[in-house]
Amino acid sequence: MISFFTSHSKLFDQLAINALLALSLSVCLQAGQLALAQAAFMGIAAYISAILATQAGLPLVPCIVLGALGSTLAAMLLALPVRGLRGVFLAIATIGFGEILRIVANNLHITGGGEGLSQIPADANTFAIYGALIVVGLGLFGLSKTKFALAIALTREDETAARGVGVDTAGVRFWTLALGGTIAGIAGVLYAHSNFFITPADFGFGRMEQILVACVIGGSTSAVGAVVGSIVLTLLPETIRFLADYREVTNGAILLAVVLFAPQGIAGLWQRERRK
Amino acid sequence: MRTYLSLAVLAAFALTAPAFAAGKSPAAGKTLKVGVIADVTGGAGVYGTPQKNAYELAGEDIKSGLIDTGGVLLTFDVQDAASDGNQVATLMQKFITDGSAVVLGPTLSGEAKKADPIAVKANFPVVGTSTTADGITSLGPCVYRVALSEAQVIPTTVKKTQASWKYKTAAIIYGDDNAFTKTNGDIFKEQLENAVVQIVATETFHQKDVDFQAQLTKIKEKKPDVIVIGALAPEGVKIIAQARKLGYTGHLMGGNGLNSPTIYNDAGPGAAGTAVGAGWYIGANYTGNKAFVARYKKRFGGDPDQFAAQAYAGAEVIAAVAKRGATTPAEICSGLKTLPLAQTVLGPIGFDVNRDVKSAPVILQIIKGGFAYFK
Amino acid sequence: MLVQQLVNGLVVGSVYALFAVGYTLVFGVLDILNLAHAAIFMVAAFTTYALVSVGVPLWLAFIGGCALAGVVGIALDRVAFAPLRKRNAGTLIPLISSIGVSIIIGAIARGIWGIDEKHFPVALGDAPPIHLGGITVTAVELVTFGAAIALMLGLSYVLRATALGRNIRAVAEDRIAAVLLGVDLEKTIVMTFFIASALGGAAGILTGLQYNSVTVDMGAGIELKGLAVIILGGMGSITGAVVGGFILGAVETLSVAYISSNWRDAIAFGVMFLILVVRPRGLFGKRALRAA
Repeated sequence: MISFFTSHSKLFDQLAINALLALSLSVCLQAGQLALAQAAFMGIAAYISAILATQAGLPLVPCIVLGALGSTLAAMLLALPVRGLRGVFLAIATIGFGEILRIVANNLHITGGGEGLSQIPADANTFAIYGALIVVGLGLFGLSKTKFALAIALTREDETAARGVGVDTAGVRFWTLALGGTIAGIAGVLYAHSNFFITPADFGFGRMEQILVACVIGGSTSAVGAVVGSIVLTLLPETIRFLADYREVTNGAILLAVVLFAPQGIAGLWQRERRK
Repeated sequence: MRTYLSLAVLAAFALTAPAFAAGKSPAAGKTLKVGVIADVTGGAGVYGTPQKNAYELAGEDIKSGLIDTGGVLLTFDVQDAASDGNQVATLMQKFITDGSAVVLGPTLSGEAKKADPIAVKANFPVVGTSTTADGITSLGPCVYRVALSEAQVIPTTVKKTQASWKYKTAAIIYGDDNAFTKTNGDIFKEQLENAVVQIVATETFHQKDVDFQAQLTKIKEKKPDVIVIGALAPEGVKIIAQARKLGYTGHLMGGNGLNSPTIYNDAGPGAAGTAVGAGWYIGANYTGNKAFVARYKKRFGGDPDQFAAQAYAGAEVIAAVAKRGATTPAEICSGLKTLPLAQTVLGPIGFDVNRDVKSAPVILQIIKGGFAYFK
Repeated sequence: MLVQQLVNGLVVGSVYALFAVGYTLVFGVLDILNLAHAAIFMVAAFTTYALVSVGVPLWLAFIGGCALAGVVGIALDRVAFAPLRKRNAGTLIPLISSIGVSIIIGAIARGIWGIDEKHFPVALGDAPPIHLGGITVTAVELVTFGAAIALMLGLSYVLRATALGRNIRAVAEDRIAAVLLGVDLEKTIVMTFFIASALGGAAGILTGLQYNSVTVDMGAGIELKGLAVIILGGMGSITGAVVGGFILGAVETLSVAYISSNWRDAIAFGVMFLILVVRPRGLFGKRALRAA
């Protein structure tokens, strides 16, 4: 049992990091915001912490704190100009933000440019990663019991009506985006410290697509769904590895099947079964 | 230069002939499982697929005795990492713990920087066949590389072309979002500056770009004597074609990335004369090279490119080490360290103290139908 | 140099415009961002390549490629979007659905044609470049530009002067009202996908001919640029997609020429972001983007 774990520890680490990323998007989706900048927030925190760790020798926990601080600030800064955008327009604006950031990272000397940053100390072991996931999970669970959670749900359902009953929808949108930034930032630092090496390409549209797909197939309107989706997506390439040449097409087919037949995602399927 | 090398090879052969004549490895009969991490699909699939092909061919050649392992049963477990850094890491961990003795790969330098440290921590040997950026072999004492790095090839490229073309000004165009092409561009710049060549323009592009006319028009305005291309084949081909199309008549040169067998056909007649600093020449007379090219062409329907050749050489190196009796990770690590010379399609190669390959770079020139030695 | 760079920009822009028109048409009519558009772009290029390799004349292969693209577009709608329409699934789910189809199309293309770059055997690219007063342009570039303009004019005619065009515009304007007025919704949507995908396919074929390169991932770059174009031009506006495409092509080329090639894409996306913040409906868009 232990040997299974140690020989697959990388996979377990990736599971938790992907779960954190999916949660960071889920927080925004639950407020009805299609804000697709989580990969960029992840990248900001990853670079901040990698630079601090390699140049100033900072240990893991301060790196997480400072990295997440950076990504949260970035999210708040982004929230301002896009506050009037909705739906697909918000999605495109945030994608654009991500691309711009990626190119900036490519061009700056301090980020190592296209060559990336290497020799990041590998001090994020599996316990640290799962510890962070548990902390974030508990935090979100606690959040779900507050009035703010109700405000989030109301904003998603119908923004105008929500404002009508006194919900500060602008605040909801701002704070959920900021929170998404924080969680993505934590994931970013853990990613950097368990991968030894980061490049701007790690945080581009491809990564964002993965996070989005994980959330949607798991169930876009719940944190549980996000985690389920990320587990499925992380394990999928390994479990269907035996399909070799047919892996790619199977990937797409499974994605399509879930979307068509399980519109509330996999978590939604399970909930439907429970209610029967 | 080549004559001396040939003499050295002959001498090495003569001295070690008795050992080769013996034929059987001390480990004959044992199995050696080689894990291969290659990007067969995904963004780097163009590079990983020839690698996969090469290992398939190597596997068959081992069975038929064309590659001599001295009786050791060598097998290749080729796994596709789909150009996904996460999968590369998972595969590296899998191979470390599933009884494999060594890993060949991964395909990209960036992937190696992520995954090789995992192997280093486990004292597990990794041999890169295409990871030519800086800072790979320095990752650990069991990380080797059979592919000449840019730092090893480019100085010779600049020296030889400068002697023949005597250029005074140069422009560089390179990919800034890929560790390999960026290293390419940086080292060319450094070497040109050392050769007192004035760099009149530096332009960049991104992976998968197809249109370089904006950058090339800008470069053409500055009238450089030579344009240096830091790119992989897909982009390199288009840069050459578009530069000629726009009317640039000066010299062109580039690195390993341009060493693709179809480059003349794809880039057009304007590509003739381009200098390419490479680690392998398709027409070289090294032991087994021409036969390898013929077998590859017959099996896969097209000439092998440098990625395939280097991958095949990686297999040959492992075979050589196995023949000397190494079958466990620790034995392979020290076996690579003490390997005198292995006869491969890249020529006779060994490893220096930094675990980089000791092999002569070959400066080529694009001609109609392929390549020739640079004159 | 300025004129040459503008010529470069126009050529790049004409393909952007053609690609974006298909994007914006689907969005205008269905409110869906079809991320499989880039895969259709690629498949059309491969189809034309395959036809040309077995001896079909180029003009016929071009039509064949566009037609196949249109059919794939219809299949895409039937498989990935129509079932979701019946369920009123919003904007997010169809987006993911299109990603799934895009992966499948890519995998099938790779399975059929492999991972290598394909080149057209036609001597179109061999024609010597034309030099006119200091600028260089090739026959292929002229054909690309001309074909793009012709196709966009053709679309404009269809939308303005045919019954189908009227129906498309009606559905784009107000879906419910259109249905109430007797428009056959599903048929109109199917035709919209055919046209949009055929145009996207045409963009792919022209790109393949222009750079003499057809690869499985040739759609990757244009996917995001297409977004920038339709934002600039205005979502749902055909004129906007055309004008936006040319403007983006020019902006990109000129930013390389006068600023730096490092920042080309950042500038393109920066312009897009700026438009979204300052004037979200773009140059010609009519839809209200802001929250009520």
